[in-house]
Amino acid sequence: MEKTGAGVVVLSAKEAFEKLEKVGEGTYGKVYRAREKATGKIVALKKTRLHEDQDGVPPTTLREVSILRMLSRDPHVVSLMDVKQGQNKEGKTVLYLVFEYMDTDLKKFIRSFDQPGQNIPPETIKSLMYQLCKGIAFCHGHGILHRDLKPHNLLMDRKTMMLKIADLGLARAFTVPIKKYTHEILTLWYRAPEVLLGATHYSMAVDIWSVGCIFAELVTRRALFPGDSELQQLLHIFRLLGTPNEEVWPGVSKLKDWHEYPQWNSQSLSTAVPGLEELGLDLLSQMLEYEPSKRISAKKAMEHAYFDDLDKRNL
Amino acid sequence: MAPSFDFASSLLCTEDSAVFDESHNNGGTMMSMMGVYEDTWSPRKRHFDEEPDELPLLSDESLAMMVEKECQHWPGLRCLNKLQTGDLDFGARMEAVDWILKVRSHFGYCSRSSLVIQNYLDRFLCAYELPKGRVWTMQLLAVACLSLAAKLDETEVPLSLDLQVGESKFLFEAKTIQRMELLVLSTLKWRMQAITPFTFLDYFLCKINDDQSPLRSSIMRSIQLISSTARGIDFLEFKPSEIAAAVAMYVMGETQTVDTGKATSFLIQHVEKERLLKCVKMIQELSCNSGSAKDSSASVTCLPQSPIGVLDALCFSYKSDDTNAGSSVNSSHNSPVAKRRKLNKTCGADLL
Repeated sequence: MEKTGAGVVVLSAKEAFEKLEKVGEGTYGKVYRAREKATGKIVALKKTRLHEDQDGVPPTTLREVSILRMLSRDPHVVSLMDVKQGQNKEGKTVLYLVFEYMDTDLKKFIRSFDQPGQNIPPETIKSLMYQLCKGIAFCHGHGILHRDLKPHNLLMDRKTMMLKIADLGLARAFTVPIKKYTHEILTLWYRAPEVLLGATHYSMAVDIWSVGCIFAELVTRRALFPGDSELQQLLHIFRLLGTPNEEVWPGVSKLKDWHEYPQWNSQSLSTAVPGLEELGLDLLSQMLEYEPSKRISAKKAMEHAYFDDLDKRNL
Repeated sequence: MAPSFDFASSLLCTEDSAVFDESHNNGGTMMSMMGVYEDTWSPRKRHFDEEPDELPLLSDESLAMMVEKECQHWPGLRCLNKLQTGDLDFGARMEAVDWILKVRSHFGYCSRSSLVIQNYLDRFLCAYELPKGRVWTMQLLAVACLSLAAKLDETEVPLSLDLQVGESKFLFEAKTIQRMELLVLSTLKWRMQAITPFTFLDYFLCKINDDQSPLRSSIMRSIQLISSTARGIDFLEFKPSEIAAAVAMYVMGETQTVDTGKATSFLIQHVEKERLLKCVKMIQELSCNSGSAKDSSASVTCLPQSPIGVLDALCFSYKSDDTNAGSSVNSSHNSPVAKRRKLNKTCGADLL
């Protein structure tokens, strides 16, 4: 309920919700499955403790909430229902972000197909990919880069096969002229090559690269580029797509972290992603374009022929 | 000579329960002053660079969505009325705005940041009644708004003590700032992705320049003019898109590079014609009066870059006081070393 002035009693988060189980742990706190006592509705509570020795509200919480406030209309972005302030047992201030509950994420979903030869059905892959492109197109249309797309951050409802983008704590409004790209951001496996090479500017294309990596992973059930260091990440990419040069990627050799690399020729994507139909391979190749400005946009991806035979009425 | 700050070390403020939610009031505890320690305080002054990086331009439909959404972030006529009728303390707001501009340039934040901070300040003042006669609450509000904007947009966030540079009459503890931050956030319903004239500027400049990138000098001039609109209250009646459109039209007209009739016919697809023309006229008047603003801007860019140079330069801004200097020296022995905090340094551990 809205607080309108001193004296109005507001239920504390502790009183309003019954915690059922802990379902996750993030950088700034725990995530619980909970029931709202007034309505019986199941929600996800993301708990953030505010340490008084730190400077106020954590930046990631601030960004996530304010961005979700902006993106409140899309069915493919997780819905933030409320923000509650409360106190924990020691009297410290705690913030609870109240989200709609989703019972699984894409990482768990992919891992549930764990028998040899057991693959995710092609029509399921197509539906999930369309929803992902649609959600990202919505974010980009609002000037928001996610910057940390990975299967763990894509929530799913197992019954309806709905997919929702979550965890926008690292997201940024790209209408802000930011002069730095902090390299610690972005899980390594889904990181775009321009970021790995030290590009100081970034664009919507960094999210599209991540989408492409996720696409391949849905088909093969394994990460496409599983590097364990920035250099290894680059070498994984170059081995498959060929070592980039000025011809395929003008300006690449001037990027800050460019060095001499072993020269590989590009391999066919079908060798790395067997089982994906021709149109899917074409879409994937456009998502994994080296030159960021040539990478397909999320909106254009939705229009790609790969999705032509998908029933989009409920998506 | 070491700079000294004009603060009253004996001044203590009682928290007023009306300022914070009741649940955060710990029985009206006294706020303690934090000392300023020159020996260890050396925030790195960034290069004062107003040139924006190339950004992806908003698409046509994104622009339409932003225009639709900007009213959620616009203090608007309600705030203007409050200031004009004296319901809001005009002088205190002006003082807070001046302090924000000073701190912003000290840390080298871009111009957008000060507009974001002022957006928060004005929206809060329209929605929440700060207690009258307690001048420290406006200062605390300014600090909280600046802290929130820095965390939202900057990659390096100074500690809250470092934010309180300049001629602050009061110094606040981190936990006090935190409580004000939470009050601001809940009052503004956590809608902190502020839409400012800068959101629209590149798009408008590009479009009325026949989809060519505008000259760097036009961008710089536009930034300067938009920043100037923010100090007074006259432009509060205009939406961010209206200000951006008017500035773009004025600047491109000033350089004689575009047909103003053509520019007008494009811009009125997005903003009302009468309001656009009125705003352009006010921009013109502002521009005529802002010759000194150019000089001020030039002197800011002339500030020396080294930490020692910065400290020396600050001496010109603050009164020298032997007693305060003594207090400061004593305080330095009791205070922890302030450190600049980089965001997201723990993300390296978040690998799959």
